[in-house]
Formats: sequence, C-alpha cells, structure tokens
Amino acid sequence: MNDHSIEHKIAFLGNPNVGKSSLFNLLTHSHQHVGNWPGKTIEKKEGHFILSDEFFSLIDLPGTYSLSARSDEEIVTRKFITEEEPNLVCIIADATRLERTLFLAMQTMELTKNVAIFVNMSDLAEKNGLTIHPKDLEKQLGVPVLLVSAVDDTSVLRIKKFLYDAIHTDKYEFNPAMMMYSTKIELMIQSISRQIEDRGSCTEYPTRWLAVKVLEGDESVIETLEAEYDLTNVFDKIKVLAKSEKLDLNVELSKSKYSALHKIVASSVAGFTDFQESRSDKVDKIILNKFWSYPILIAIYAVFFLITFYASTPIINGIDLGISKFSFLVENWLININSPAILTSLIVNGIIAGIAAVLLFIPIIIIFYALIAIMEDSGYLARSAFIMDRVMGKFGLQGTAFLSMVMGFGCNVAGIMATRTIKNEKDRISMIITNSFLPCAARLGVIAFLTGIFFEPWLAALLMLTLYGFSIFLVLASSLLFGLFFKKSDPLPLILEIPEYRRPRLRNIFHLTWTRAGIFIKKAGTFIFLASLFIWLMSSIPFGAPPERTIAGYLGRGISYVTEPLLGLDWKMVIPLIFGIPAKEAIISALGILYSTGGSIIEVIKASWSIPQAISFLLFQLTYAPCFASLAAIRTETKSWKLTAIGFFYPLIVTILSTTVVFQILKLVI
Amino acid sequence: MNQLFRLIDVDVNKIVLVKEISAGHKAQRFLADLGIHEGEKIRITKNDVGPIIVEIKGTRVAVGRGLASKISVLMEE
Ligand SMILES: Nc1nc2c(ncn2[C@@H]2O[C@H](COP(=O)(O)OP(=O)(O)O)[C@@H](O)[C@H]2O)c(=O)[nH]1
Ligand SMILES: [Mg+2]
Repeated sequence: MNDHSIEHKIAFLGNPNVGKSSLFNLLTHSHQHVGNWPGKTIEKKEGHFILSDEFFSLIDLPGTYSLSARSDEEIVTRKFITEEEPNLVCIIADATRLERTLFLAMQTMELTKNVAIFVNMSDLAEKNGLTIHPKDLEKQLGVPVLLVSAVDDTSVLRIKKFLYDAIHTDKYEFNPAMMMYSTKIELMIQSISRQIEDRGSCTEYPTRWLAVKVLEGDESVIETLEAEYDLTNVFDKIKVLAKSEKLDLNVELSKSKYSALHKIVASSVAGFTDFQESRSDKVDKIILNKFWSYPILIAIYAVFFLITFYASTPIINGIDLGISKFSFLVENWLININSPAILTSLIVNGIIAGIAAVLLFIPIIIIFYALIAIMEDSGYLARSAFIMDRVMGKFGLQGTAFLSMVMGFGCNVAGIMATRTIKNEKDRISMIITNSFLPCAARLGVIAFLTGIFFEPWLAALLMLTLYGFSIFLVLASSLLFGLFFKKSDPLPLILEIPEYRRPRLRNIFHLTWTRAGIFIKKAGTFIFLASLFIWLMSSIPFGAPPERTIAGYLGRGISYVTEPLLGLDWKMVIPLIFGIPAKEAIISALGILYSTGGSIIEVIKASWSIPQAISFLLFQLTYAPCFASLAAIRTETKSWKLTAIGFFYPLIVTILSTTVVFQILKLVI
Repeated sequence: MNQLFRLIDVDVNKIVLVKEISAGHKAQRFLADLGIHEGEKIRITKNDVGPIIVEIKGTRVAVGRGLASKISVLMEE
C-alpha cells in the first residue's frame, strides 16, 4: 500500500459532532479511502500523511458515545482498538462539552494505555469565556492532552509534531489514571478478574476491562468468556449484588465515571456556566416552536427542492447541448472515415449516450447534496428529524427515518445508506426496502419531462406534488404493513443529541457533498453506463431492423398483451420501463430512441398517448422497481437475498395494483 | 416540598434533579452514557408537544415523551 518502511497506525475516536472528521480531513487532505468494516455496513474511513518519510496511517472510527456493545459501531471500535493495536488512540473531545466528550476517553483508557486526548473547538471555548488548562487535565488523566481547533491551521502542525514525538520520544507519559469504583464494585471486579486470570485469558482484552464489562452485563464479552469457561457462579454473585443495591450495574459504572470526570473538569476548566439559555436555545424557540416548526420545515424543504430543480436546469441543458454537438461531430467523423455502421452506432448511440446519461444527472445530484450538507453542517438537519418525530411516530417510525427519506430524493443508494442511523431493526429494514418508492433525481427528470408535455404548468406542478405525496404515502403505509410481520419488540425510545447551530463551513460542505455525490458518480455511474450499452444492444439486434422487430421490440410487444388492457401501457411504453429497471436514467433516453421517428419527440409522444395513458406511465415509473445500484445497496445493507428479493418484488406488485386501479378509474372518467 | 414529578410535567427552564429512571435497560444505559442518571441535575429547555429537550452538562438531548414520563425528578430551588 505504501513504500515507506515505517508505518504508524493512529485511530481517531470521539462523540458525534466533536469535529473528528474536520481534524481528520485537515491532517490527511485527499489521501483518504472509504470502505466498509469487514462484515458490517459501517463506513471505514482511512487516510494518511507522511512526516519525515514515515507513514502515518489514520483511521476515523465511527462517532459513538460509548464503548459498550450496544451497536455495531461500538463493537467495531473496540475490536479495532484491541485487535489491530494502533500505536495511538486519539480521543477527540469538544472543549465546550468537556465532561460529556471525555466520557469516551475514560472508557477507552480502561481498554488501552496508548491514549491521547485532543480537546477540539478551543476557539469556540475561548469565545464562550472558557479557560482550559490542558496540563491539569493531563496530570489527572495520566495521558497527553492537546488543546486544538479545526479552524486554526497551526493545530495541524502541532498535532503532527505531537504524533511524531509521542511515538519517537519519551516526552509524553501514557499512564492512564485507573478509574476506581465504589468498594463494593471494586471487590466484584477483583473477584471476577481473579477468576478470569485463573483460567488463563482467552482474549486480547485487559482483564480488568473484561471484569468491568462482565459487571456491566456486556453480552458480547460474556459470550466470549462463556465459550471458554463456566461463569455461572460469577453471575449469581452479580445478581445478588445488583438486587441488594437495587442497581443497574451498567448505569452505576457510567455514573462513577461521570462523577470522577466532573471533579477533573471542574479543577481544570474555568468559566463554565451551566444552565443558561444559549443562542441556539433562543433560535430554537422559533425553529422548534410547536406552531411554527412545521410551516418553517415545509418552507425550508420547498426552497431546497426548488433550488435543486431550477439551479440545475440550465447546467443540464448546457451539458445536453454540448453532448449532442460532440456526438454529432463524432458521428460525422466516423462516417467520413468509413467506419462500419454498427461501430458508428455503438459509439454514438451506445457509448456516448451512456456517458451522457451519467453526466446529465451529476449537476442535480451535486446541488442536492450540497444543500443537504448546508442543512447538516448548520444543525438544521438533526432538528428536522426532531420535528418530524411526531409525524413519523404516527407510522411507528422515529424522526431519524425521515432523514433517509430526504436523502432518497437525491439518489436512493444514498437514501438506503442513510438508514444506518436508524436504531430499530424493523424500521431500518422497512426504510431500506421502501426507499426506492421515493423518486430520485432520475425520476424527477422523467416526471418533469412528461408532465411538461401533457399539462399546463400549474396542473403539471400539482400532479408532480401529488406523485411525490403518493410516494411518501407508500413508504409510510408500508412501514405500518411491515410492522405486522415483525415481532413486537420494545423499540428503543427516541434519545437524540441536538447540536448547537453553527455557521456552515465551505470545507465541510465540499467534503460532505463530495462523499455522497461520489457514491452516485462511482456506483450508479457504472450501472447507468452499462445499462445504456445494454439498451443499445437490445434495441439494435438484429442490426438494422425497425424498433418493433428488435429483441426489445418483441419483448415489449409480448408484455404489452397484459399491460395494455390493464395499465394502458402499449409496447412502445413498456420498452422504456424495461430499460429503466437497471437505471431509471435510461427511461428518457429510451423514450428518445423510440419516439424520435419523424419530428420532435415531444409532439410525437403527445400525439400517441392519451391522458390516462400518460398518467398511468408516470405513476408506474414512479415506484415500480429499484435500480440495480439500489438493489445492490439493499443487499449490502440487509445482507439478505430474501430481503433483496422482497425489495424488488414488493414495489412491483404494489405498483401494478395501484396503477391498475388509477388507470381503470381514469378511463371511465376521462 | 420534596415532591417527585415526572419529567413531562416540569415547566421549561426549571432545573431539576434526576431521581429515578424506570425505563428499559437499553434506554437507561444510553441515557447514562449521555450523563443522564440518578443524582444528576438537568434543565428543561423545551416541553410542549413532541419530544422533550433537556440540557445536561452543556449539551442538549431530546427525549421521547414516553420515556420522559418514566423519568422522575425533584424540583431544585
Ligand atoms: N468553531 C469550530 N468549529 C469546528 C471545529 N471543529 C469542527 N467544527 C465544526 O463542528 C461541526 C462538526 O464537525 P465534524 O468534523 O463533522 O464532526 P464529527 O461529527 O466529529 O466528525 C462542523 O460544523 C465543523 O465545522 C473547531 O475546532 N472550531
Ligand atoms: Mg464525522
């Protein structure tokens, strides 16, 4: 991977929103690689920098509040710390919320000695009148503490120098202060430790840590230990202790850590004032107001969609024009050099059309995710999840599910990946399977194109809103439906940290947009490109035949025997829908190929479809099937072929039923 | 006047002492990790409809109403 003989492994760990990614990005710049943790659907971000010809490999561990085994993030994190033995685990804390964000440091220090603490956001702390004495923290915690800020470029140099020195010199001490619990708990820890030691350790984890975890009732640790030896008598003792004290030991241990931290922070920080109305509190009086929150939310999202739509239109038109000119030039050139007709067709209608299909959707995707990044970085996105919690609750969902829906309007792959923040399994699966109901940017293109052909602008806008509304309805109703098939488990109630409002930063917006739009460009790009080639092949064989005598033509005509009476979709309408299965972007290009016979596509389509047919087509393409990239995402996220199959057939069945009903009614009425 | 209240019955801006959380294990532990447990002081920053928001250790945490009704607190004066 690198040609530097010396490699150091540095892990970054911290609560959400402490500026971990900001620091990580500053240190590694573009030397980053995003993958997945083995067997898990959690992002693994790695990066590196080089100093004095030595390779510093940085790992951005998932943002988490603790190291218990409640979530995959937490399991991945502690596995990494013990099994991969990084040279250093850097805990990123937030100077404005020191107690909370150092809690994770306390937990990590039980797991490894090689801990350093970066207290980030020192600029904000200073602005808020806080004075932090890192030396005092250092003395009491027993590990190096650095005061840094991601908005101050000297921090980067200091961090790099620190990492280098920490590894190469004895300048810093790593003697994490041992967390001492109450006497009763300490006795239990000793007794469990002894039993573990007597039997010989079977894991890489420190014995004391294992004992603490056993006390906490950590299922994953207990499972590992029980596989090796019998712990019944230990558990009996724990139960007796917990009962006699009426305690949840897990809560008790957290409490001890917090009370130790409280003392440490109180003696190292001056100027901290609790319980005062902050600026964010004041803004939230309006933004989260019980009457105003909904109108404001609707207004913000309306503006968001309008900007996405209108700002991207001229860019898309420009690209479109450029591509058709380019394609025309290439075609002429190929004809001039007497290239065989089939090759010309492959290059012009296959390859160039394929690249065009990808390019055309890039502006809309980039603008969409840039605007989301602004909402996210400012703190509004988390609040919209909070506001929507009440609405989503009516459908048995939590507010966080709303965010995956918002993401899905850009690209369903991103929407499906955004379900990772959903805590309840039933909710998550339901949102993964139904995300493709929500029209992504590609289907927005189809909807805008076709409604524009058939309806007055105001009617087109109304129809568009109706289609969006219907897709949201399907997602929510499906969640209720799926609820019937899952065991009624006790769902984890909503517990959500609400971040302070912040001025969005260009660097973050750029970064967030790039990661998400990059998903679309890389993953969907391949699918769209391959799908375009496939379409070309299907609609060109046998070569030179009229459309209805190609493979696609026969297929379309076969299927239309069923779809025409039922849904009003004739063979020329069926073919684009078939081609749209792998990638929805193909629908428009297929319409273009099939209806470009003599005159403008718009006129031809307008003349050949009745209004009920047009509505039927619009409704059908809206929800009928996830694209291949989405199917792949469903498979990755659920790790189940069965659910992936459901993810394909469920929308199809729902769409056939709903479209049939609508078409049959329209036929009677119009 | 050492009367216990449910968190959902406390007015905005009041500072209260957490006395008891009688929720499921998972919720209790998550709350504890965030610093919300017995013996800790919190301030209520929002309580009308939808989830309640409390200030704890300089951070704001939203808690669903169902869960908030299972948190008993003592008024601080
Ligand atoms: N003022 C200030 N803002 C920061 C600093 N570090 C991060 N931020 C902001 O804090 C927010 C969260 O940062 P991010 O890196 O995404 O946090 P993460 O969730 O820990 O990865 C972003 O809006 C950053 O711009 C800092 O040192 N000072
Ligand atoms: Mg981050």
